[in-house]
Amino acid sequence: MSRFFATGSDSESEESSSADEITPKATGTTLTKQALLLSDEEEDTKRLVRSAKDKRFEELTNLIKTIRNAMKIRDMSKCLEEFEQLCRAFLKSKTIVDKEGVPQFYIRLLADLEDYLNQLWEDKEGKKKMNKNNAKALSTLRQKIRKYNRDFESEIANYKEVDEESDSDDDDDEDWGSETVDSGSESEDNEGNSASLALEKPKMFAKGTEINTAVVVKKLHEILQARGKKGTDRAAQIDLLHALAAISNENNLGEGVSVKIKFNIIASLYDYNPNLAAFMKPEMWKKCLECINELLDILIDNSNIFIGENIAEDSENLAISDQPFRVRGCVLTLIERMDEEFVKIMQNTDPHSQEYVDNLKDEGRVCAIVDRLLQYLEAKGTTEEVCRVFLRRIMHTYYKFDYKAHRRSLGLQGESKSEQDQEESEGEDSAVIMDRLCKFIYAKDRTDRIRTCAILCHIYHHALHSRWYQARDLMLMSHLQDNIQHADPPVQILYNRTMVQLGICAFRQGMIKDAHNALLDIQSSGRAKELLGQGLLMRNMQERNAEQEKIEKRRQVPFHMHINLELLECVYLVSAMLLEIPYMAAHEFDARRRMISKQFHHQLRVGERQPLLGPPESMREHVVAASKAMKMGDWRTCHSFIINEKMNCKVWDLFPEAQRVREMLVRKIQEESLRTYLFTYSSVYDSISMETLADMFQLELPTVHSIISKMIINEELMASLDQPTQTVVMHRTEPTCLQNMALQLAEKLGGLMENNERVFDLKQGVYGGYFNRDQKGGYQQKQGYQRGTFSRI
Amino acid sequence: MLAQHSTVSLVRPCFLSGSQVVLKIIKHYQEEGQGSEVVQGVLLGLVVEDRLEITNCFPFPQHTEEDADFDEVQYQMEMMRSLRHVNIDHLHVGWYQSTFYGSFVSRALLDSQFSYQHAIEESVVLIYDPIKTAQGSLSLKAYRLTPKLMEICKEKDFSAEGLKKAAVGYENMFEEVPIVIKNSHLISVLLWELEEKSTVPSKHELLSLSSSSHLEKSLQMLMDRVDDMSQDIVKFNTFSRNTSKQQQQKHQYIQRRQQENTQRQSRGEPPLPEEDISKMFKPPQPPPRMDTLLIAGQINTYCQTVKEFTSQNLGKLFMAEALQGHNS
Repeated sequence: MSRFFATGSDSESEESSSADEITPKATGTTLTKQALLLSDEEEDTKRLVRSAKDKRFEELTNLIKTIRNAMKIRDMSKCLEEFEQLCRAFLKSKTIVDKEGVPQFYIRLLADLEDYLNQLWEDKEGKKKMNKNNAKALSTLRQKIRKYNRDFESEIANYKEVDEESDSDDDDDEDWGSETVDSGSESEDNEGNSASLALEKPKMFAKGTEINTAVVVKKLHEILQARGKKGTDRAAQIDLLHALAAISNENNLGEGVSVKIKFNIIASLYDYNPNLAAFMKPEMWKKCLECINELLDILIDNSNIFIGENIAEDSENLAISDQPFRVRGCVLTLIERMDEEFVKIMQNTDPHSQEYVDNLKDEGRVCAIVDRLLQYLEAKGTTEEVCRVFLRRIMHTYYKFDYKAHRRSLGLQGESKSEQDQEESEGEDSAVIMDRLCKFIYAKDRTDRIRTCAILCHIYHHALHSRWYQARDLMLMSHLQDNIQHADPPVQILYNRTMVQLGICAFRQGMIKDAHNALLDIQSSGRAKELLGQGLLMRNMQERNAEQEKIEKRRQVPFHMHINLELLECVYLVSAMLLEIPYMAAHEFDARRRMISKQFHHQLRVGERQPLLGPPESMREHVVAASKAMKMGDWRTCHSFIINEKMNCKVWDLFPEAQRVREMLVRKIQEESLRTYLFTYSSVYDSISMETLADMFQLELPTVHSIISKMIINEELMASLDQPTQTVVMHRTEPTCLQNMALQLAEKLGGLMENNERVFDLKQGVYGGYFNRDQKGGYQQKQGYQRGTFSRI
Repeated sequence: MLAQHSTVSLVRPCFLSGSQVVLKIIKHYQEEGQGSEVVQGVLLGLVVEDRLEITNCFPFPQHTEEDADFDEVQYQMEMMRSLRHVNIDHLHVGWYQSTFYGSFVSRALLDSQFSYQHAIEESVVLIYDPIKTAQGSLSLKAYRLTPKLMEICKEKDFSAEGLKKAAVGYENMFEEVPIVIKNSHLISVLLWELEEKSTVPSKHELLSLSSSSHLEKSLQMLMDRVDDMSQDIVKFNTFSRNTSKQQQQKHQYIQRRQQENTQRQSRGEPPLPEEDISKMFKPPQPPPRMDTLLIAGQINTYCQTVKEFTSQNLGKLFMAEALQGHNS
């Protein structure tokens, strides 16, 4: 359409002022309208009533006229002034513009003015000659118009094409290619109206050129040369490439060329964002996905295309011939990049918006693409490439809970589900896939990083599906704990995630101690959020400058992969409670008592500091309240604090097998409460019947028996079991508080002595050894001493 | 008023105080002191011949953080002036302080007693132990700094050498002054009469057999002090190690310098200029010894208290045993 218009217009039109730039003789659908609105000048004398539109446009044209005059005499300050007025006037006529579209003459002026300014700017000599005011005005105006023109980018580009066209039609059929390459390289400092490369979209080839592979490739190179340059319009370039692809398809140049072009389209799509932090716009992203899909279609359909990074440009074979195509490029890299872009999009979307959900729907497409690539590469790629694509696949799998497999393993409800579900559940279990992929990587991978990631994902997946022993064994076998600190941050984040998942898994299985150990590192730092890559902590700027913050932001895990932090903390606190409360009861008087969990103690202290104790609200308060109940051996209250409506919906229901976890928890609470009770109150009993205990804690007699036996064996409880009457007889040999104190004092005095002797050593030099010789051992054995002496009495 | 007739006499360095003073101190503690909080006040009296007689006292008001601009000196002067108006002895002769399980040997006490003794030579500090008193035996002790310690405090030389030279140990930091409480005859008569009349045996606390809580508390505090002591010793240890290390370095440096100089001399070159060695090797700051000494003193008092307490308790236990045997 525009092309038609351009040929119709006069070539000299650009010289003339805006008023008569388009002559009514031009024909065409668009032109009738324009002609009407633009040719008002001769007619307005006859008309009495002018429309608002005419009035506005007249104002604009007048202003434009003055600007053009000022341009001619190089009066920059005048130009600036008028330009500002023009902008204002344009703003006023906004309603009309909205209705009618931006008037052509306006665009023309903007384009001309910018070119003119650029030209002046480049002309160093001329600039020197300018007076101060003018020079200043020039620079401001240049900046202004740059900014201003950004809004009219497409229109100006359009205009310029037209311009160009009319130019180029004059000179006959010249060799287009060479000229544009020239002009491309010097487009910046050339005459403003000479085409910068990106602007020549509609017409690729001169009329009549025979389009063959060589020409297209040449053209492609031309386009690519502009890539990365400052003035290049990236959007236009993408369009250009699309057009080229269309042409090559039209002319049946074969898959080689189109693959080549596709590669470049995708690459320039990635290039679209100048900096790394920005993410793709949705339409770009859609386009990218489509392109990649098409590319994969071609690649999979045509097995005679070889692609590779190591194929040199000149050894490419793009023409249709008997030989297979050879194309330079790496589809794997493209798809990896696509994956990263996807992550970036997810990172930059508000996780609580509908938009996020919409974006997340693309996850399926991304997975599908990765899957297709995987099939393709399995057949064609090197092992290294296969490893890489496997890792991608793993990365998309490991964090998803396989509900179907879970349901199947339970062996029920298969029928009640809909057809589609049925169909899907036919597919491979994710566990099997993970196993297959990971094992391949373990065997074949030679870069450490991929293997590490694969192991971690594998462990995570195991842990997520409650395969605790496999997960633990894999973790121990990999020895990752020892050297993970040398890994790069993303891997460390993955490691942290894995550890947390492992801990939660252990908890579900009732391995409280393991759970506590696994979670200790993450929780004790108080930076769980940061360590898991789920958000930045508020910190002052001294610790982290903007640059670092950007880097850290890029490491964040997308929201749909997050591990629930409250769940994590709750699991940790509950396991700490189950360990710590009996321990505290057992070592009530021990001065050397160390804390098992600092964080748990912190929570307890916070709870104690509360001036008014209401019913618990938050998860932490629940745990603290439960701990207090447990301290008294009151398991029923403890139970009701840990498992209730609030906690269920906050925490426990998040587990896939919530009911089982709750049962386990009740059991643990009963057992640990029993232990706590015995520790705390053993001193007031002479003997206690096990049946009573079993009744009190709702445990079976054998369990009570085993718990008490264990305590006796570990010398935690000074008692013996009386078999016939089924009672526990207390020995009452626990040291009293005062005795404990005295023992501690003795110990401290020992330490003091030792220190004192050291001072003496220093003074006496050689003599010192004499004093040390026989006493060292005595103080060192103190650990066993305390309990030992009393239990033997 | 009965109380006005009671006098406190002082024999040589010893002194006695009237029951009015004692009662006032006790009352002050009952009203304001709680737990480990400490109450303080001013003692008034006069020196008669070789005795210091304490005839009156008044408390320092408890002031909180909010009224920081409260002027204590002003208050004291005001108080004493008012007392003079009503013709009561108004000479400042010391101060009193309550104590918590016998913990009073502290830097603060040392400093303030020093300034008292420095200004008014005969000043004493009365230490009142409410807990022991509650157990049935009035515990009131008077202390003065020994002249040796006064010397040291005056020179502010708390280094190890200074203390060694002055031969001040933890035992002879404070001297205890014997107290004689003397009531006027009228009061004695009144007391006798009251004892006759009182029906409730008021002395049963004295025979209380429970000992553990008191001992526990004492042990706990003793332990804390021992910890402090340990820390101090470790500090001192590091210090002495550092010093010796530096000494060595210094020595080496001097030797090297000498060697070089002799070499230069043999070559006929001028010797290297003398540099300030003390500047190059700054001796490490020695840890102050005074605190350690005070801790030692405090430990000593604790030990005394515990010893006293246990021996009393043992006695009580024997008595109880005998009683049991007698009954059965």
